[in-house]
Amino acid sequence: MFKYVVRRLLYTIPILFGVTLLTFLLFHIAGGDPAAQAAGKHASAEEIALLKAQLGLDRPLHQQYFFYLQQIATFDFGRSWATKQNISSMFKAGLGPTLSLTLPAFFLAVLITISLALILAHLRGSWVDRLSLVLCLAMMSISFLVYILAGQYFLAYQFSLFPISGWDPDPILRWTYLALPILIAVVVSIGPDTLFFRTVFLDEISQDYVRTARAKGLAEGRILFKHVLRNALIPIITIVVIRMPFLVMGSLLLEAFFGIPGLGGIMFQAIQNSDFPVIKAMTFIGALLYMFFQLFSDILYAAVDPKIQLR
Amino acid sequence: MIFCRRLLTFALGLSFVFGHLSCTRRVSDQDGTINTVVSANIKGLDPIFSSDVYTNAVVAQIYEPLLTYHYLKRPLTLQPLLAAEMPKVSEDGLTHTFKIKKGIQFQDNPAFPGGKGRELVAEDFIYSWKRLADPRNQSDGFWVFDGRIKGLNEWREAVLKEEADYDTPIAGLVAKDPYTLEIQLTRPYYQLHYVLAMTYTAPVPREAVERYKEEFINNPVGTGPYRFDSWVRNSRVTLVKNPNWREEFYPSEGEPEDRARGLLEDAGQALPFAERIVFHEIIEDQPRWLNFMRGNLDFVDIPKDNFESAVVGDSLSPQLAEKGIFLQVSTEPDVTYTAFNMKDPILGQNVNLRKAISLAYDTETLIERFYNGRAIVAHSPIPPGVDGYDPGFRNPYKEYNLEKAKEYLAKAGFPEGQGLPELEFSTISSPTARQMAEYFQQNMAQLGIRVRISSSSWPQFTNKIREGQAQIYGIAWLGDYPDAENFLQLLYGGNVSPGPNGSNFQNEEFDRLYERASRLPAGPERTRLYQQMRDIVVAQAPWVPGAHRQSYYVAHGWLKNFKRNSMIQDYFKYLRVDPKKRAELKAKL
Amino acid sequence: MSQSQKPPARRNSLWWDALRHLRRQPLAMVSLGVILFYVGLALLCSAGVIFTDYALVDHNRPYQEPSWENWLGTDIFGRDVLARAAHGSITSLSVGFVGTGLALVIGTLLGALAGYFGGRTDDLVVWFYTTVDTIPYILLVVSLAFIMGPSLQTLYLAIGLTFWVSHCRIVRAEFLKHRERDYVQGALAVGASHWRRIFIHILPNIFHLILINFSLVFVTAVKSEVILSFLGLGVEPGVPSWGMMINDARLELPRGVWWGLAAATGFMFFLILAFNLFNDALREALDPKRSRV
Repeated sequence: MFKYVVRRLLYTIPILFGVTLLTFLLFHIAGGDPAAQAAGKHASAEEIALLKAQLGLDRPLHQQYFFYLQQIATFDFGRSWATKQNISSMFKAGLGPTLSLTLPAFFLAVLITISLALILAHLRGSWVDRLSLVLCLAMMSISFLVYILAGQYFLAYQFSLFPISGWDPDPILRWTYLALPILIAVVVSIGPDTLFFRTVFLDEISQDYVRTARAKGLAEGRILFKHVLRNALIPIITIVVIRMPFLVMGSLLLEAFFGIPGLGGIMFQAIQNSDFPVIKAMTFIGALLYMFFQLFSDILYAAVDPKIQLR
Repeated sequence: MIFCRRLLTFALGLSFVFGHLSCTRRVSDQDGTINTVVSANIKGLDPIFSSDVYTNAVVAQIYEPLLTYHYLKRPLTLQPLLAAEMPKVSEDGLTHTFKIKKGIQFQDNPAFPGGKGRELVAEDFIYSWKRLADPRNQSDGFWVFDGRIKGLNEWREAVLKEEADYDTPIAGLVAKDPYTLEIQLTRPYYQLHYVLAMTYTAPVPREAVERYKEEFINNPVGTGPYRFDSWVRNSRVTLVKNPNWREEFYPSEGEPEDRARGLLEDAGQALPFAERIVFHEIIEDQPRWLNFMRGNLDFVDIPKDNFESAVVGDSLSPQLAEKGIFLQVSTEPDVTYTAFNMKDPILGQNVNLRKAISLAYDTETLIERFYNGRAIVAHSPIPPGVDGYDPGFRNPYKEYNLEKAKEYLAKAGFPEGQGLPELEFSTISSPTARQMAEYFQQNMAQLGIRVRISSSSWPQFTNKIREGQAQIYGIAWLGDYPDAENFLQLLYGGNVSPGPNGSNFQNEEFDRLYERASRLPAGPERTRLYQQMRDIVVAQAPWVPGAHRQSYYVAHGWLKNFKRNSMIQDYFKYLRVDPKKRAELKAKL
Repeated sequence: MSQSQKPPARRNSLWWDALRHLRRQPLAMVSLGVILFYVGLALLCSAGVIFTDYALVDHNRPYQEPSWENWLGTDIFGRDVLARAAHGSITSLSVGFVGTGLALVIGTLLGALAGYFGGRTDDLVVWFYTTVDTIPYILLVVSLAFIMGPSLQTLYLAIGLTFWVSHCRIVRAEFLKHRERDYVQGALAVGASHWRRIFIHILPNIFHLILINFSLVFVTAVKSEVILSFLGLGVEPGVPSWGMMINDARLELPRGVWWGLAAATGFMFFLILAFNLFNDALREALDPKRSRV
């Protein structure tokens, strides 16, 4: 087990290197002349040169890359071009609101979709199952943006069920603002997640032990809830863990529309403002989190499933 | 599974911790808090970075410049703010002497000894203006002094070579005594008083800048009626009344109809009225409007797409009026225009082509479609509200006349558009800007001119113009101050890219007139020069002037003293919310 | 010709079975019909046979409600919304087909190389796709679209360069399995070149996976167009697209204009639903375990 963890950790090093290289190259090409952009309306050539030196953009490429690695190591991504704010503190300020949107949405969605999937697995082959399948696919066929537009317009404005948008830093009051975006996020994930978990359960049901249990005369419901659910937990946990980074990056669209001051909102603004340092930092942080959770999930998997260590 | 639960607990805990960290007092309807909105995210709160109107809306309540505009009088009239009186100007127009009000205190801040704000002195202006000029700060606002104040540009160069610092004296900026500031100009600059009413030139205390360094943007310390309270990033900024603010009173005179509109009821009352101002950052039109309709915002400008439901004919729709909402229209010194890049090989040399395009552009329908018919067709760069504007003036190439346009296109050497390569129209990628670009494309298609639209983010768009890469582009200019000079400088040869003259228009006669006018005080002679310049612009057609827009604001009945004009930036101190009426009217929404 | 050089019999029967299975599924057949309908619609629109008035401006009739004349109303410029939505299918289908095609070509090629050659090539490809996969896809799409500026070509590339990873992973795994199989080893014995073995021998055997992944990526591509349009990184203005129409709804809804949103959503809904349903049936049809469930 220990050896596996060490090996898995070592394996992340080239990936980390790859991510830094890719993001650096991507934004180096994309950047164009960032200095001219940052310097403002009335910038002279001299000022632009000065700014370039400040940003380190006049140095050779490999030095700039090294500088970027340095930024990453110290978690100091410099300042935003658009807002002149410190990117690390922007990130810290955005993390709380994002998590309070995505965590409840995520766990609610998992809970609801697993329950639905279990029911569907139980009723597999019936017309309820077939119909639900089509319904799930139908729900997946509508753009996220449409859910948001319609949800905000009808539920918040026409029927006045929720506040339209906004944010309160108060840990209780914020939920009034979060309710609708959370609801939308849950509704959007019902389609794909139910289908996914249903497949997981059906795979499990086709396993030999289920047949044995059935042969032993155990009730179908008991098999499903006791054995299948327990055994399916491993793939479910893995997939749940891998999805965690999206919790942190939040939802760009939801945050933009509902005025939630989270990371997604920051990212949205950065895109609107061509704010390269922010986009770059967010991309890297997103990748880093994904790597972390992937590592976490692999180790978890190895801890639960002894076969993996033999690999 | 246990692992998973722990993670959940940890993560939930994290969100609560973050919540508590940024906790502020709750906003309640009981007090006279003003809830306002900005439609873009607020940036750092520093006068030298106050170039965008949204950030400036906040900064201008915390910081104050020497002069300001009278709140009620129109046309806009300058009056002293930090200055004790209007400045004395020497015969030759080169020396401006300002007396500064005595006893003005900076807001309390830990940057000062004992945390108590100190008195504002003339030196503070000199320091702050050097800061504006410092190339390392990359302020967008240096143009207000660029080449105007004796020794300031030289100081700027020297700073770049590290040969000068903030203690190096500047010939043109002298503190005669703690309350007297003398400004020496390189040449007459009659717009000086206007720029001294802009937030860029507001004084900042050196102690605070040096204490907070780059974080000064988040720790503003001004002299204004409101001081910074809290900022929930990307959500809202809260300002509270500055308890140490000096005595100032609500004006007792205004326009004739102001009395009837109840704008003089508070005459002589001590300012400011509201205990607190909350600036909500709401970027999308829809939630902004909906929040207003719910009474969460005291006033907004009407989004174009809500206009039909809000305004009927010339007045507010009965449904809104019933709720106590009222309408306020303000004509701003503003012009939208389609600019040709005169350095472009096809467009730059061919005045007939430019005229053909101008003639084929149907502005009336544009105004109908995009400004709900509430804008004036622009015939030249000079907008209403500034001298040199003549409402009767007609630009012969501004009428929508396809026949004539076709004639000019043939004269230009492209009959029916034949032989003319596809043109590129640059714009920003907001839905409205995109639709306007499509509108231009449709208009040109009638002439047989093919247009490709290239859209990008605002910084990329302005960068493209600055680099002279944009062939045709649509943009607008909202005046910095009410003077035609501010509009005509957009076509001055000395300002070509990367300067504000993005169309790269260069005309000797125009430049000569511009330079002459810039040495003249306001008066009939300068107005005549402005009109001559206007005629050159019309004949050369480097722009297709678009529209002079009007702002339509709606406000709830509980908001008193509301009279908007975008030039007046420190207006929140005049506004008053009636909490009782708010509770009453809000119940009806 | 030796026996082992023939493609394995399993493949033929797999396709045959699948086809038979699919034909018994009315829903799958209807979905296929819908997809073909959209393809036909897009072709006819771009050939200028139907809905030719999609760009016809009428400033006297902006935002008209649905009527007999304009079944789905008109937009801000008085253009027929139905015609624009129909023309939007050109954008969506081309983004879907080209973007997805690009993603599948990249994924298949890299996956095949990695799986077939193994060793250092495999390490490199795995490293590369793990790296790309690590970057949150929305950020990758946005960055790519950003670099190239908004246009149709950008959409193709951004989608193609982003969504190849999962496909690549699957193809690699299949190649790893297949290269050890008898028929490939047999081809090696008679001296078939590497390319021949990759493309002529192995590739047809995993073609069903490409087909399944195609509709998966296709759906993602069409949906991404909407999001990229929202971020200002979509198609060139003036080109009819569902993404643009949904975005315009942000401005239209407040004035009670719902038909633009409804039209674009509806057109997109049926196309994507058809793909989703067809894919579901296809996967089931091609699943060798099908009989066991």
